[in-house]
Amino acid sequence: MSLTGSTSNEGNLSKQGYDMWLSWINDQGGITVGGVKHKVQIKYEDDQSKPDLSAQLMQKLITEEKAQFILGPYGSPATASDAVIAEKNQIPMVEANGAAQAIFNKGYKYTFGVLSPANKYLTGVIDMAATLSPKPTTIAMLSADDNFSVEVAQGVADYAATKGMKVAFDQKYPNGSTDVSSLVAQAKAANPDILMNSGHLAEAIAINKAAKDLGVNAKILAYSVGPSTPQFIKALGKDADYVYDGSQWTPQVKYTPAFYLGEADYVKAYKTMFKTQDDPDYHVAESTAACLALQKAIENAGSLDAQKVRDALAKLDVTTFFGQIKFDSRGLNIYKPMVVEQIQNGQHHTVFPQDVADTKPQYPTPPWAQR
Amino acid sequence: MRSRVLGVVTVAAVALFTLLPLTTTDPARAMGLPALLDRSQLRGLTTISMFVVLTSAWNIIGGLAGYPSFGNVAFFGLGAYATALLTDPDHGHLPLGVGLLASPLVPAVVALVVGFPLLRLRGHYFSIATLGTAIAFGEVINNMDFLGGATGLFPPIIRSDLLFYYLMFGAAALTVGVTWWIMRSRLGHGLVAIRENEEAAAVLGVDTTRYKIIAFVVAAALTGLAGGVFAGWNSFVNRDNVFPVDYSVQMILMAVIGGSGTISGPVVGAVGLEALIQLLAGGSGVYTQILLGVLLAVTVIFLPRGVIDFVIGRSRLTLAHFRRSLRQTSV
Amino acid sequence: MSLLAQQLVLAILLGGVYVAVAIGFSLVWGILNIINLSHGAFIVVGAYITWTLFGRLGLDPFLSLPIDAAALFALGYLLQRGLINRVIRAPVFFTLLLTFGVNLAIVNLLLAVFTSDFRSVTPPYAGSGIVLGPVVIPSIRLAAFAIALLLAALLSLLMRRTRIGAAIQAVASDRDAAQLVGIDLRHTYALTYGIGAACAGVAGGLLSTVQAISPTAGEPYTLQAFVVVVLGGLGSVTATVVGGLLFGLIEVFGQSAPGLGAGYANAIAFAVLVIVLIVRPQGLLGR
Repeated sequence: MSLTGSTSNEGNLSKQGYDMWLSWINDQGGITVGGVKHKVQIKYEDDQSKPDLSAQLMQKLITEEKAQFILGPYGSPATASDAVIAEKNQIPMVEANGAAQAIFNKGYKYTFGVLSPANKYLTGVIDMAATLSPKPTTIAMLSADDNFSVEVAQGVADYAATKGMKVAFDQKYPNGSTDVSSLVAQAKAANPDILMNSGHLAEAIAINKAAKDLGVNAKILAYSVGPSTPQFIKALGKDADYVYDGSQWTPQVKYTPAFYLGEADYVKAYKTMFKTQDDPDYHVAESTAACLALQKAIENAGSLDAQKVRDALAKLDVTTFFGQIKFDSRGLNIYKPMVVEQIQNGQHHTVFPQDVADTKPQYPTPPWAQR
Repeated sequence: MRSRVLGVVTVAAVALFTLLPLTTTDPARAMGLPALLDRSQLRGLTTISMFVVLTSAWNIIGGLAGYPSFGNVAFFGLGAYATALLTDPDHGHLPLGVGLLASPLVPAVVALVVGFPLLRLRGHYFSIATLGTAIAFGEVINNMDFLGGATGLFPPIIRSDLLFYYLMFGAAALTVGVTWWIMRSRLGHGLVAIRENEEAAAVLGVDTTRYKIIAFVVAAALTGLAGGVFAGWNSFVNRDNVFPVDYSVQMILMAVIGGSGTISGPVVGAVGLEALIQLLAGGSGVYTQILLGVLLAVTVIFLPRGVIDFVIGRSRLTLAHFRRSLRQTSV
Repeated sequence: MSLLAQQLVLAILLGGVYVAVAIGFSLVWGILNIINLSHGAFIVVGAYITWTLFGRLGLDPFLSLPIDAAALFALGYLLQRGLINRVIRAPVFFTLLLTFGVNLAIVNLLLAVFTSDFRSVTPPYAGSGIVLGPVVIPSIRLAAFAIALLLAALLSLLMRRTRIGAAIQAVASDRDAAQLVGIDLRHTYALTYGIGAACAGVAGGLLSTVQAISPTAGEPYTLQAFVVVVLGGLGSVTATVVGGLLFGLIEVFGQSAPGLGAGYANAIAFAVLVIVLIVRPQGLLGR
């Protein structure tokens, strides 16, 4: 898990999600296997956000700490490296934080992802946009050039056409670019209804600033990663309002869980456990969901045998507070929808799909001059 | 006398690291031998061997010829991509052996081409130009769809950890052997002459351009070989894991801490530092990194010629030595 | 056409940021012959000071710039006096490694103190701009540009018109002669490095208003400073200004290079760098 380094923020959130489940399951006495309760231990190592170190430590956990099952690291690159280790050791890995589909297209048999894949990240925004009036029709996409972000952008490009929308401007920028203002200026020239970014928190902040600086008055501003975190609002203040993002989960969704906590109890338990006022964001929830999937599979298998648990994972179909968890033949969970969040008056609100939304989208985004 | 001791130590180390991993195999287990290594230690040794290759290869151009390349990671990346492209089932789908053959060739050719203009530069300028070249290569490859683009390439998984250990260890032995041979040849003497005074070397009849290019190409080929083995071992190659600028810095650190321009210095530096990094890994990364930074500062200030001087007994670890080396370098 | 004008404006303003980023780096390299790999970390420290003062005390980011400069000057002075002076006569390579170590330590200390969260300073007037027909000139960027040029002018004055500047120049051209006429070498070196760090601090304060910062955000700035100095050439403030503006143009128009995507922007920038190095190693205006 990336507890330090460039993705330490997300890594620590994911660890919170694992720890939430850990304290709950051990309060229950542990996982029930064939009528016997087994207490659970989670061993962590800090991979410093480096994929090769992650693989090295994963092997160490398996051989030296005798890890029987693997919960995934944070991020697509580390997940791809660790998937190879899971494969070589034939130990199932349930991961919640590596959305790049490429990991799942290689015929690996031991890696299962509970989260919706990258290409779905922003398609929810397009679905939502199609229901709005006046209907937006043109999209400008700015995408970072790492594997996850490129897949997100590709997903949008493929999907927009089916909804009668056109990607009028589509550019990649080098990952970690410090200045994107001139790309935003180019996007502005395309006069898009929707300005999208598929990248990371730092670029989402920079693009939002540049959009205001240059007066890009798109009807929808939507960024794949960033707006769902409290930092986005802290960094931008009122300028964060109206921004949309695609999210794996929000505290407002309403599913009917087969076991574990419901959404409201989950949020409450989170706030008590970590003594915070912030709601858990989706990194926390998806990580807890990975634990739930593993737990259910172990219970279904009635065994701690790696092979049997792997087969039970492949057959798993269960609804949790996170949504449905079911894996296709590649180990991907394509059955859970992404939800769309919007920041309204400094608060996160779920605005789409309608059946899980807590409020309507504020549409269109007013021009910067009138805010 | 001293050289004989060194020779014995070398032979013993090679024998140990060749035989020890064999205890993990099935025949050994059948014979009732205890496994003296586990998979994660084997993995650790593979990584250490990899850094021995990178550091010793860097030493050929950076330590012997005195051309501090900051871009050697480009050769690692190119080697990894060459192997990955040939073995990835969606691309070449050839056996690993064929892929590995290409891993030193591609970087060597590239080094030959870029070497002519780059090696005309000296000192800082050479460092920066090689750094820029490495970054540019990484960026371009990341944007080429036939090389997997940002997604990268996925060579098929080969489950034998032992195979990759021996490949990497073999590459390390080869690199050290090549260094040993170079230092005894005309080439080596020429390179050292270039390092000490390039104009004088040219006057004395050393074909400086040719020598520098050869050193650069040899370093590139060996570094690329490590990249190729890494590609097969890791089964996942993209810009972020085979073109990290960190590696360029790390190999230089290891060489300098060990003692650059010698055969054993880079090996000692790579083994020592990488073992330390692995030992500290898993703890709190932030403090590990701070410690690493401080360690680096201390080494540079107090041991400007690397630790190898002490290991082979050329200098003694005394306060007077520290004082003297400080006086030489400070204002 | 209007897009081109807009791009040009942005490129020049961005160039101003690069001037600020590179100017201290250029001084340290030119005078002390040190490639300061902790330069990016200094910039980030400056940015965090501005961010803290803005968040805690509500101090306007532009008003905190002198504080950034003072704090970083102190840090730089002490580092040079206590640490770097000790290896200044070793091969250039050693100062490189030493500053790399310092960089590692600073970045990770920042991580321990501030966590890796991204921060950004957004004052109430952010986003306002001067509108000239289809072209927008964002006022914060314009202010940052003006301050960068002011910084360059001040540094240039300092070097040419003051005793300190004269001492620094003397040390750079002949160390032993300078010592003979009574210049304190250690102090002068430390002053130079301190001034370089102070410039980095100001750059950091400026950057916090236009970009998102985190403890690990410094590396690209060191790299950018490298490129700017190589492009312009060592040895004069003017060269750095020219290099910075040029790099702004390369970055912006590299992103819209015909036939290639914006993903190649870095590759183009570094290719230009390498070509300049090979064709004219002393930089465009270098001596």
